[in-house]
Amino acid sequence: MAVTDAVDTVDAPTAPAALPPSAARRRRWRYLPYYLAISPFFILFAIFGAYPIFYSLFLALHRWDGVGPKQWVGLENFAFLFTDDTFWNSILTTLVIWVMSTIPMTVLAILIALGLNSSIRFQGLYRVAYFVPNVTSVVAASLVFSSIFSGEFGILNWLLGLVGVDPVQWLSNPWGIKIAISAMIIWRWVGYNAIIFLAGLQAIPGDVYEAAKVDGAGPFRTFFSVTLPLLRPVLLFSVVMSAIGGLQIFTESQVLVGNRGGPDEAGLTMVLYFYNEAFINNDFGYGAAISWGIFLVVVIFAIINWRLIQRPRRDTPKGVS
Amino acid sequence: MTLTRRTFLAAAGGAAGLATLGTAGCASPTTANPGALTLWYSKDGLSTNVVDDAIGRFADDKFRVSIIGDGLKHRLLAAMSGNAYVPDIAMLGDDIASYFQDSDQFVDLNTLGAADVKDEYLPWKWQAGTSPSGFMMGFPIDIGPSALYYRHDLFKQAGFPSEPDDVATVVSTWDAYFEFGVELQKALPGRYLITDTKTVFTYSMAQLPQKYFDRQDSYIGDGPHVREAWDRALDAYRRGLTAGYAGSQNPGDSVDRHAAWNTGKELSFVNASWITGELKQSAPGTAGKWRVCRSPGGAGNQGGSFLSITKNCPRPQAAFDIIAWLLSPENQARTFLDAGLFPSSPSAFTDPRLLEPEPFFGGQVTMNVFGKSASDVKPAYFSPYDIAISDTYTDELTNVELVGKDPGQAWNDARRTVTRLLQRKGVI
Repeated sequence: MAVTDAVDTVDAPTAPAALPPSAARRRRWRYLPYYLAISPFFILFAIFGAYPIFYSLFLALHRWDGVGPKQWVGLENFAFLFTDDTFWNSILTTLVIWVMSTIPMTVLAILIALGLNSSIRFQGLYRVAYFVPNVTSVVAASLVFSSIFSGEFGILNWLLGLVGVDPVQWLSNPWGIKIAISAMIIWRWVGYNAIIFLAGLQAIPGDVYEAAKVDGAGPFRTFFSVTLPLLRPVLLFSVVMSAIGGLQIFTESQVLVGNRGGPDEAGLTMVLYFYNEAFINNDFGYGAAISWGIFLVVVIFAIINWRLIQRPRRDTPKGVS
Repeated sequence: MTLTRRTFLAAAGGAAGLATLGTAGCASPTTANPGALTLWYSKDGLSTNVVDDAIGRFADDKFRVSIIGDGLKHRLLAAMSGNAYVPDIAMLGDDIASYFQDSDQFVDLNTLGAADVKDEYLPWKWQAGTSPSGFMMGFPIDIGPSALYYRHDLFKQAGFPSEPDDVATVVSTWDAYFEFGVELQKALPGRYLITDTKTVFTYSMAQLPQKYFDRQDSYIGDGPHVREAWDRALDAYRRGLTAGYAGSQNPGDSVDRHAAWNTGKELSFVNASWITGELKQSAPGTAGKWRVCRSPGGAGNQGGSFLSITKNCPRPQAAFDIIAWLLSPENQARTFLDAGLFPSSPSAFTDPRLLEPEPFFGGQVTMNVFGKSASDVKPAYFSPYDIAISDTYTDELTNVELVGKDPGQAWNDARRTVTRLLQRKGVI
């Protein structure tokens, strides 16, 4: 069959320079089916990925209201961006919300995964139940959350009242807003991460635990010296994923505190600021400049993540391998 | 037919070939439905009954409609910048001024005979749809005249003036309203007469004949009138009159404000007429207890929309006839009854169907209050940057009110942000 022949040729390439030009051209044509086979991705990426990316760079150098002629402004948008307090604040806000949501979420997710991993009844039911928030509409959830955190009649304030704490105006207080947004992110992603951790836990071989038991390790020692180190790759995956999601926080803020980001811009994340400038204020040039600012922040985080993963594993679990 | 690899590849190849032929054969049409006249309007932006009648009436013109749930503006901008699938008739919001610099995308309605019906509509609204150079872009749909909504029962219970005319007399100016509020709060502690500082600032500005730019597009936002509105908002805050609900920055989304309506914590508020529907829906238990009267400081307008005809529309005259029919004074009255959109045609204010006593307002004929307010609005030029500027000031007021920011600092920050914004846009 032709396919096998071709594969053989690929496996044993010869230097094309040694062939006459016509043979080299024929050889190039022989690869055409493979290029064709992988082309859909590249064609789609060129249209929907690469083109918009480079077009946004072009836009960032212009002033454009979305319809009329584009006006060349050079680097003016970037000059504004780097002196724009709101943009710097939005970076800080994004990072604060990311930390406030990721750390509790990871701890909770591990605890839930441990629970789901132990032999309990209705395991499947719990797994589905914890995953449901992840596929629930954020806008619907935001209605529930704005009711929970409502200052006037929120459930949370009612519960605080039961233990004698004065009501807190969650959604008008800058830290309250950050807590509410983080709570929503935690609620939405804790189940997803618990399922990932559960898969990681189930991949840890049982004999490791047996060895730990033989060595006389208690449940805590086993968790910190066996489970956690072996869960490290999964943990890293989850942190990287949450960093990707965390840098793009948008919907939760928008639905809870609106396009302007609420009092003191407490909920104004980078992406929300970008959306506001480009799509609400019709300033597509400046919006594009903000998106390149976000890109730089993401690059910095990608490098940090990469360094974390590349780090040689100095702490190979003792007594396990 | 069984699906083998060969048949699948043949079918896929055939489909791809056809698709290529199809795109090569005809480019994307410039209008949304070639041959037809298409109207894009946002949900609840017109009365569906009136629109349905128009579809029947203008069947010969192939009149079609699309209701755009969210983001009509984004879709319109995308269609216009791509010059494809542009609706023939498009609804524009109260940010119509941001389209003035792109008037080449639209048809000047004055060239289609709009001037003939000009007298049937409120002059200030007509002017708002016309660019400073006289290009008429938008035909008036609805408006948002402001009034003071207040709790008749609670005013009365506290022994204060409670009938609309009496209240209007007592609170004729903002200062008088604040004085009244301080006294009323002594009688009814823990309740509020003003939603937030944003309300005071926004409606104070709405009452003025000039805003941030004059019609020659020169910036006048550094004049004393902005500072006056700002100081007034701070005054209300310092006197403890504002409730400052979270989320009231997003009109319609504040669950706290809805709760305050239900519990009677919000004794009164200044708002445009479009809040009535939300008030009825969110606080049905307070039916009969509300009244409206002239707003402190006088008439003002917030919000309102327009219909426009885009440049590629093949039959602009037919499109204009549809618009003129949809928005005729009689149909505006019907639209108000169906969808609560306040008419921009004064003759609708005296339509007997709109002068029925309303049980929710204790039998008051609210049209008398809102109609008067609508007629008294001063014409003002609304620039493309007004919404962004106003949002900047109200954001800083909110920072003072809810976060405790120093007012002097907030004012300086607002001024600085506005200046930077206008510099970035190349206006100053």
